[in-house]
Amino acid sequence: MPRFLHVAKLALFATAAGAAAQEQLAPPAALRPSAPGKSFTAPPAIPPAPGEELKIDVPQEGDAVGPVYALDELLTLAAQNNPTLRQAQLHISADLAKAQQAGLYPNPVFTYQAEQIGVDSETDTDTPGEFHGGVLEQRFVTAGKLRLSREKYLRRAHVSEHLATAQQFRVCNDVRLHFYRALAAGETLAVRRELLKSAEDAAVTSQEAYNMGQARRPEVRRANITLQRARLDLLSAENAQRESFRALTSLVGVTLAEGRVKGSLTPEREPASFDAELGRLLANSPEVAAARAKLAVDRMTVQRERVEWTPDIVARGGAGYNFESGETVAVAGVALEVPIYDRNQGTIRQAQADYARQQQEVRRIEFQLQNRLATAYQQYLTALQHAHEYERVILPESKAAYAELLESYKRDRVDWSDVLMAQHDYFDAKLTQVENLLEARTHEVLIAGYLLHDGLMAAEDATPPGHIDATPRPR
Amino acid sequence: MSTPQNSNRPPRREFFRTSALAAGGALAATSAGMAQHSGHGMPDDGERRHELPKPVGDPSAGRPAGAQDEYEGFHRFAPSRGNSPDSDFYLGKLVPGLRDPAAGRAPFVAPDVPSLPYEIKDGVKEFHLHATPVEADFLPGYKMNVYGYNGSLPGPTIEVTQGDRVRVIVTNDLPEETFMHWHGFECGIQYDGAASLVQNPIKPGESFRYEFTFHEEGTFFYHSHVAMQEAFGMVGWFIVHPRSDWDPPVDRDFGLIFQNFFIEPTQTVADSWRMDWNWHTINGRSAPYISPLVVKHGERVRIRILNFSPMQHHPIHLHGHTFWVTGHEGARTPKSAWIPRNTELIAVAQAAELEFIANNPGDWMMHCHMVHHMMNHMTKQVGPRVRPGQSVDAYLKDLDRVPEAALRNTDPGFAVPGYPQDMQGMNMGMMMSDAIVGRRETLGMRKGWPMALMGLMLAVRVLPEDLYHLVMETDEHVEPGSVFEEIVRRFGDPSDYTPAIRMSHG
Repeated sequence: MPRFLHVAKLALFATAAGAAAQEQLAPPAALRPSAPGKSFTAPPAIPPAPGEELKIDVPQEGDAVGPVYALDELLTLAAQNNPTLRQAQLHISADLAKAQQAGLYPNPVFTYQAEQIGVDSETDTDTPGEFHGGVLEQRFVTAGKLRLSREKYLRRAHVSEHLATAQQFRVCNDVRLHFYRALAAGETLAVRRELLKSAEDAAVTSQEAYNMGQARRPEVRRANITLQRARLDLLSAENAQRESFRALTSLVGVTLAEGRVKGSLTPEREPASFDAELGRLLANSPEVAAARAKLAVDRMTVQRERVEWTPDIVARGGAGYNFESGETVAVAGVALEVPIYDRNQGTIRQAQADYARQQQEVRRIEFQLQNRLATAYQQYLTALQHAHEYERVILPESKAAYAELLESYKRDRVDWSDVLMAQHDYFDAKLTQVENLLEARTHEVLIAGYLLHDGLMAAEDATPPGHIDATPRPR
Repeated sequence: MSTPQNSNRPPRREFFRTSALAAGGALAATSAGMAQHSGHGMPDDGERRHELPKPVGDPSAGRPAGAQDEYEGFHRFAPSRGNSPDSDFYLGKLVPGLRDPAAGRAPFVAPDVPSLPYEIKDGVKEFHLHATPVEADFLPGYKMNVYGYNGSLPGPTIEVTQGDRVRVIVTNDLPEETFMHWHGFECGIQYDGAASLVQNPIKPGESFRYEFTFHEEGTFFYHSHVAMQEAFGMVGWFIVHPRSDWDPPVDRDFGLIFQNFFIEPTQTVADSWRMDWNWHTINGRSAPYISPLVVKHGERVRIRILNFSPMQHHPIHLHGHTFWVTGHEGARTPKSAWIPRNTELIAVAQAAELEFIANNPGDWMMHCHMVHHMMNHMTKQVGPRVRPGQSVDAYLKDLDRVPEAALRNTDPGFAVPGYPQDMQGMNMGMMMSDAIVGRRETLGMRKGWPMALMGLMLAVRVLPEDLYHLVMETDEHVEPGSVFEEIVRRFGDPSDYTPAIRMSHG
């Protein structure tokens, strides 16, 4: 086969394969002169800024700066209004109520009893009965079952108290995290505004350079593209700022007028070693405290189940009238369960297994905290190192490079494009530093706050799923 | 051996001149210098005037008495060519200078370059050269790090006479090896200095003795024979005067060494690896810091030019005059082969000798005609400098806030493709510093003259005798622009002259 036919055949196959492939989106065609380079053509124009149709989510007040919120103010509001904190308090109340209920003595039982109705007497046939009267029955609880039950549920209330503390940390930490996110979003927005001006300057510069024969059309277009991307970056930063503020107010638990936050992104806490942080975390973590408190509950549960089979004494007594003999009579009796077969062995073993499982749960939580701290600490340390060195070296060096190039431009030593590059690098470094500081602050908050966050997660109950609640009535 | 340019200068003036040299070329604040400096800014619109200032000098003393003016149609004191190209006097070809030949040859003067002294030892002229690092003032306030000799860039000028026995002890004060080449000499092989081809390197701290008897005469030079050291500036004049002076005798004998360097902005160390150049020097200085060549009206002037740039040639153009090319670095050219030119292309490591009669008074530009050599460090004319109402100072004021840039440059010039071609943004403070406009050689030049001279440019000042005396030999106050305007008054059309106006710059 001649070579050109072979090539044509291949091209045909390729075309068919292309047609079968998913169709690509075709952008609208850009304006292109018919014969650039043959006679002077104006440079590709600087594109207009995104239109009003894209400014969907703008504050109703326009550009007016709303109220300014400080962190302490927001923490106070969250403490008063976050629903999960109220939930956590109600968990404690519920457990205290259970403890009360579990310790209540059983009520006596009154019975009206009529026996042998219709029995004949010597004087009468079909008497009302051999016995008509009232009988009072009382269960006497043995082996301190009620005390133990009450104690068990009081200890469960302790668990709820630790969980409520954890919830407070979750809420406060989350308010802090979102506060710093909002702060960083504001700073990012400010830098993005500067970067947009830099991109605008670069676009104008490319127009000027085109007029001097020092830039080609594709380079002008590239500057236009960079400008439009900078404009989109600014829109993104505006959106992100609003999103961060709104997320922050959702944690506070009340609707706040849209505004901005004031504070500092610079970490404040003296950094400590990993071992010191781990020791502090395991010693003071509300999650560990709740797990240990829960272990005490389970220990008490075992004790409670061990006395469960000790029979209670049920005493009965009453008085009535014997219509057969025609005299007043009394009844009395004592009953107790004889634990020959059921001595609660299964439940005791189940409670013991729960206790042993909770011991492992304490260890699991400790190791899980260590695992989470390892990640958080690494990110904290890395961010801290970056933030420190950006502050100490990279930002001053970038700024000095920019200043020196400006001075050189003033002295006619460098091209403006070199200055703009250094200008962009400086603001880009500032952008990175905002990220560094936010990362450092975020992990500082988490480490200081025992790695607890997510302040809108429903407050945890002290009773884990599948736990023994052997009867509807707490015991 | 060169002598001061004005041997009859009074002692006080001589003190000022040597003080200026000692201070790196900055003239001590003489009354004349200060007057020049303080009044040198462009006049405000209110200052603009069409009448000339009051006359200076004494027109009746503008020419030396008894000097012959006319030579077969060529005039010593007026622009002219002569009656016939075949005449010996066409374009002043063999018109002698004004000096008395009995007074000996005119001194060789390389402005701003020191002369190397010698001692006679056993009938031998012994010179001492040290290869050294140099901090050279290319411009006032710009101290550049290069290499040279005896602390100078270019190195000090060696002058001997044909037939002299000469010894040069070269000591290497550099931290690296060097060699010394005597460019153009037909010397013994062991003293040629062509690196290890002929000798061992001169190690740091060591010396090497070179010894010659010169049978040749002419324009020579010495330089390191380590390539990058050459690019780093290591060169100097080696002038061998003929036993009997060349004919016709000249009144002035100047030497100019042209060099290129690449020095990055915010740097002072020349990058000798570069193959493009952004600093241009003549005798170690860049315009407008290059000293003007000041001559008297009617004098015969020789200018020797050496191109010691690393890579680029220089077409040297002299305004207002036509010169004869009378020799090159090889030797004096036979008169029959002299060529009249106004632009001479001088290649790397070539020298040219140009001679002309200074018959056209004025401050004439002499420069390399390569446009990229007519200014230092060319930059693209974009950015705030070319935007109406904008300045880079706004950017410097707050580095954390970028000034707004209008999305369209409102300068209507941008409607014209190619605009702007004019370089903006000169450092006016430096241009008008006393070191630039306060020097004696510049007194009375047109206001704002430093704005016109950049890179490889200098002024050749042709002054009537009385004005030469006023500028170079007295301490009288000289008003900025007054000498130039006096020349316009005497030789031009005063009614059609507009004084200097304020120039715009970014």
